[in-house]
Parts: sequence; structure tokens; C-alpha cells
Amino acid sequence: MDPKGEVGGSLEADAFRKLYPHQFYANFLAKHTRPDGRALMQARPVSVTPNAVSSADSSATAKLGDSAAIAGVKLEVAVPAEESPDEGHLAVAVEMAPMSSPDVRPGRPGEAAQCLAEQVSSILASSDVIPRQQLCIEQGRACWVVYLDIIVLNADGSLLDACLLAAWAALRSLRLPSVILTADGNVEPCDDLPQTSSAAAPEGVWAGRMLQLESQPVAQSCAMMGGKLISDCTAEEERLADTIIIIIVDGRGNLLGLIKAGGTAEAGDMIMQQCIEAAKLRQQDLCRLLEDQLSAATLS
Amino acid sequence: MPKDVVSVPLPRKPRPTNVIVNGTRLDGRGPEEFRPIFLSTGVIPQASGSVYAELDKTKLMVGIYGPRPSDRWHGFSEEGHLDCDVKMAPFSGGQRTKWGQSPEEREMAGLLGVAVEAGVQRSAFPKATVDVQCLVLEAGGGELAVAVAAASLALADAAIPMRDLITSCTVSRVDNQLLLDATSDEAFQEDGSVLLAMMPSLNQVTQLLVKGAWSGGELDEAIQLGMTGCAEMDGICRQVLQEAIAPP
Repeated sequence: MDPKGEVGGSLEADAFRKLYPHQFYANFLAKHTRPDGRALMQARPVSVTPNAVSSADSSATAKLGDSAAIAGVKLEVAVPAEESPDEGHLAVAVEMAPMSSPDVRPGRPGEAAQCLAEQVSSILASSDVIPRQQLCIEQGRACWVVYLDIIVLNADGSLLDACLLAAWAALRSLRLPSVILTADGNVEPCDDLPQTSSAAAPEGVWAGRMLQLESQPVAQSCAMMGGKLISDCTAEEERLADTIIIIIVDGRGNLLGLIKAGGTAEAGDMIMQQCIEAAKLRQQDLCRLLEDQLSAATLS
Repeated sequence: MPKDVVSVPLPRKPRPTNVIVNGTRLDGRGPEEFRPIFLSTGVIPQASGSVYAELDKTKLMVGIYGPRPSDRWHGFSEEGHLDCDVKMAPFSGGQRTKWGQSPEEREMAGLLGVAVEAGVQRSAFPKATVDVQCLVLEAGGGELAVAVAAASLALADAAIPMRDLITSCTVSRVDNQLLLDATSDEAFQEDGSVLLAMMPSLNQVTQLLVKGAWSGGELDEAIQLGMTGCAEMDGICRQVLQEAIAPP
């Protein structure tokens, strides 16, 4: 056993793994297991830490096995768009830190990072996921702009799953501060109102509040490898996979997205159904985990 | 979000003007004390070496890749090359920043390279490159000093041959009082600062950055304080390395 706890850490096995990766994996898959000891549809351990960085208005880190991402929110204010005067804005950006993988070099974001950013923002931008009316301060005059920046710290597969989890955890712990909207349209911070005063807020004060989010979107990456379906792939497994299927669901059982990226294997009805069922179970697990973490963070 | 939206940040809370009250600092430290130091190696399993460093509100990560062929053309050299890159997370400071290298990041990368390079035996990896990649997650003051110490620890974690560990710290002068390891609030009030990076076992300085007007005696005193700080940091780095190799 090597320090990572994987089977077959001897030099010969390592060399075999590098030279004949497909055969190496086929040997494991034939026995319904994977080199890191997981069952085919077993996910890696997950952890979420809210409020990782105090310079952000809210933040969270998420880890899926060795894959890690951090999400941070910075709030700014703007005038609402004319076509939607009662809505605020959400701007999502995803970056791969150069340290996250040997393949990422400093400089312009690579194709993988841009692709990931597009996927995350399209999920969060789709209707109902983030109720943008809550970001309105006063109709037609002022609204919040939520800048959500996600950084992949370590890229070891299933990055969309990790990014989305970190993003959601950061948004779930986001508190919009109390502000005053002055007569000339400026937004200025003000102290929170005392909790006890049941009287209506003074003129022009917008009381601070938590962002109310309902149903957590969760992504579940699966892959077809040698005719077998595996879930929560590592970077190595993603490279070797015949095709990758990503299912995004919310807590109400809605399908928010489905990505089946090319590949040489076809995924029929059976496989798709299997992936969707796995994603629904995963949604419940991650939702429970996150709520536990958030309530632990508020108690401490 | 539509491209033409112009957003402005809320006005920031003013920084405290008195950072020393009755001889103690706002976070309760004495003038010659570090913030609590947390260092951890091996945080990025697929990198050759990596470190997470946290000094209260300064949080950063360093990843080392290589020695490997460079993706940039450096010209022929018998010695290996050290490529440093520093990124600030968009949410690391007071105002959101955009991705894309800013002049501050470029300067920090250059200074980090100079401070660390002196301790690395570059002849051990001729024609190859070692990439030192630093990501600042939260900038709470003294990022460069923390990055230097973290990068040298990460290089050691990557088993890159070195002459010594390089440790670093800042000394700020606020109201004629020397403060070790200033926070960003303290640094905002400073009228002079010294950044010292050195190899404590060899007793050699790899970088000394002095800002502000100093008299000779005062500067001596500041450098002495910096050297004590570097030695203290060195002890912690060595302990972290030993524990990484043989957990207690």
C-alpha cells in the first residue's frame, strides 16, 4: 500500500499503470472496483467549509477527494437594467489556479477553465436557482451585484461538482448588509437595525438579510469506462474514460442540466436513468452535509 | 450579467487610526510578536510540493511543479530556471479585482523569485524549470514575506536541492515604534518598513527592501528585529518539515 492507501503501490504496478493505463483500469473494473478502493458508483469523501476567507462577503471551500475549489462573493451596487428594474445581477467567474494541475500554466485562462465557467454560470443563471428579485434594493434605482469568483485549487476530476458545491455554499452563507439609499441615489452602508425593534425600518433604510435560496443544484459526474459506469471520477479516470456524463439536478427532482460530452461510447436510456438516479441521491447527501456545516458554523 | 452594467463597491469601513493602544496592538500582540503561524505541506497531492500558509488574516497557497521542461523560451543555460507566478484571488482584498496579471502581482512575483532563487541550487536541474505558483486567498498584510517563507518550504517539500530554507518577515515603523509582522491595518499607518528575507542557518540575507526614511541606528535596530523574526519563522518551518516526514 502506498501512502494514498491505493492498492498496488509497488514500482512494477506504478510503471504498468503509466504504460498501459487502460489495461490497468480494466483489471480493476473487471472486479467491480477502482484503483483507489472505491466501488464503481461510490463517491469520494466530501467536505465543505463555509466562511473560509474573511475578506470576501461570503466564501466557502469544497473538497471532493483531492479536488478542491474555493468560492468567494464580493458585493457591489448598480442601477438595475431597464428591462428588469426589480432584479439584481449575478456575475460568475471560474478560474483554474496554475497550481491546480500540471497542465495549467499562468496566463490566459485555458479552454477547460472557460468551459467550466460557462457551465457553472449557466446553471446558476437558469431560472429560479437564484431569485434575483431578492437582489433588488429599490425598483429601478439600485440593486446588488453579486460577483461570485470560483477558483479551482486542485484539479483532480469532477470539477463541475466541486465548483458548484463551493459556489452554492458561499451563496447560502451570503448576508446582504443593511444600506441606506440616499435621495441622490447613492447607496451607503449603515448599522444593522436592532433585532428587537418590530417597528418599520426608518425611511430609506434597506434592512440587511440573508439571501433566501431554496433548492440546491448539484452536479454529478459519471463516466463510461470499458462498458462500465463509474461516478465521481478522478482526473486520471476522466482522461481514460470513453465518455463523460454530467447530470445537474435540484432538490425538487428537476433536471437542470445534462452534459454528455462526445466520447466514443454511447449512453443509452438505461445508463442515463442510472446517472439521474445517482444524481438525485447525491443531491440529498450533499444538501444534508451542507446544512449541517452551515448550522455548525452559525452555532460556533 | 449584461456587459454594460457599471457597478461600484460600497464605501469601505475606515481603517483604525490608532493601531497601538497602551503598548499593545489591536489584535493583542506585543510589538515583537508574530501573528499565529499555521503552515501545512502536501496540500496539493499532484504538485511536486505545496504549502498552505495562514498568519491570521493572510492566507495563501504555494504549489511547485517540476523540474520539468519550460513552456517558455529561456535561452540556453547550464543552470535550471525558477519561474515564479503570484495571483491574488479576486476576493482577497478590499475591492474586487479582475483576473489578469496586475502590476502588483508582477512586482510580487519578481521579488519572490529574487528572494527564493538565491537559496535554490539551480545547477541541480540544468535546462529544466521549476515553477513556483502562489495564490493569495486573503491579503491581511505581509503577503510577500509569507509567500517567500511558504515558497521555500514548498520547494523543500518538493525535494528541490537547496542551500538553506529561506524565511522572511516584515518590520513596520508606526509612531516611532517597530512592529514585527504588521497586519494590513498597521501597514496602512506605517511611515517606514523593512522586508527581510534570509537563510538563517547560513546567516545570509537574500533580500532587503527598505521603504521610508530611516536613520542608521534605527535601521540597524529594525534589521536586528527582522533577523530575530526570520530565525523564529525558521524554527517553525523546520518543525513543519520534520513532522511531514515523520509524523509525531
